[in-house]
Amino acid sequence: MTPSTSEKSVGVTTPSNREIRIERIFDAPRERVWRALTDPELVAQWWGRGNKLVVERMELRRGGHWRFVEHAPDGVHGFEGRYREVTPPERVVKTFEWDGMPGHVAVETMTLEDLGDGRTKLVTVSLFHTTEDRDGMLQSDMEQGVAQSYAALDRLLAALG
Amino acid sequence: MVQYQESLDRSFAALSDPTRRAILVRLGRSSASVSELAAGFEMTLTGLKKHVLVLEEAGLVQTQKVGRVRHCKLGPRRLEDVSKWIESYRRQLEQRLDHLADFLERTKGTP
Repeated sequence: MTPSTSEKSVGVTTPSNREIRIERIFDAPRERVWRALTDPELVAQWWGRGNKLVVERMELRRGGHWRFVEHAPDGVHGFEGRYREVTPPERVVKTFEWDGMPGHVAVETMTLEDLGDGRTKLVTVSLFHTTEDRDGMLQSDMEQGVAQSYAALDRLLAALG
Repeated sequence: MVQYQESLDRSFAALSDPTRRAILVRLGRSSASVSELAAGFEMTLTGLKKHVLVLEEAGLVQTQKVGRVRHCKLGPRRLEDVSKWIESYRRQLEQRLDHLADFLERTKGTP
C-alpha cells in the first residue's frame, strides 16, 4: 500500500484484506477536530470532498441514524449508517453503507488522540462486511463473532494468497 | 458498474457461507474432486455440488470434468472485486480527510 501524498498523512496500512487503517495528524486541538467531525453544519463543509453535501440525518448517539447525500459531478450519492459508539471527544464508531453498493457495510472506528502540542492524531480503522455478516454478528456474541469470522477469513486469505 | 456490482454481490454471497469458505481453504491447499470434497466435509454429493456451483458462478472456483470425475480448483477471479470496492472506499476516505485538513486550516483561530 502506498502512503498518501498528503503531508498530513502519517500512513495507510491494510493489516488484512478486509481492514483499512489510516492515521492523520491535524494541526488543530482535539476539541476542534471533534466538532468538525460531529457538528452537522461543519461536516457539510468538508465531508463532500468539495461537492455539495446535504446532511439529512445525524443522530449522534448510540443507535442513532446518519445519512449524508453528496451531489457529485457524476451523480447523487447517498451514504448512511448507524452510530455504535459516541464518546466525546475521543471516539466515534459507526456503520457505513453506500446506496450504490447495498448489502456491503464498513464499520468505521475513528479515534482522536490529543498529541499535547495543539495537534491531534486521528486514526480511522474500517472493517468490511456484508450485511449478512453484520446481522449474524449482532445476533451472536459480537466480539466472538468478529474474532471467528476474522480467523476464518485469515485462513481463507492465507489459502488463496 | 451494474455488472461489477452483480459480480461483487455473487462473491460476497458465495463467501457468506462457512462451508463454502472452508471449501476454498481446502482447495487453496490442492485441487480435489467433488467426491473427495464431499468425503472431507461429511456431506452428500448433491449438497456439496450445490456449494461448488455457487462458488463457480462467483468465479471463485473452476471445475473440469474428466471421465466421470469432476475436479475442482480455485478460480481466476478470487477476491479481486471485493478488493476493488475496498480500494474505492479507501480513496474516498482519504479525499474526505484531505478536505477535513483543509477545513481545519481554513478555520484556524476560530473557537
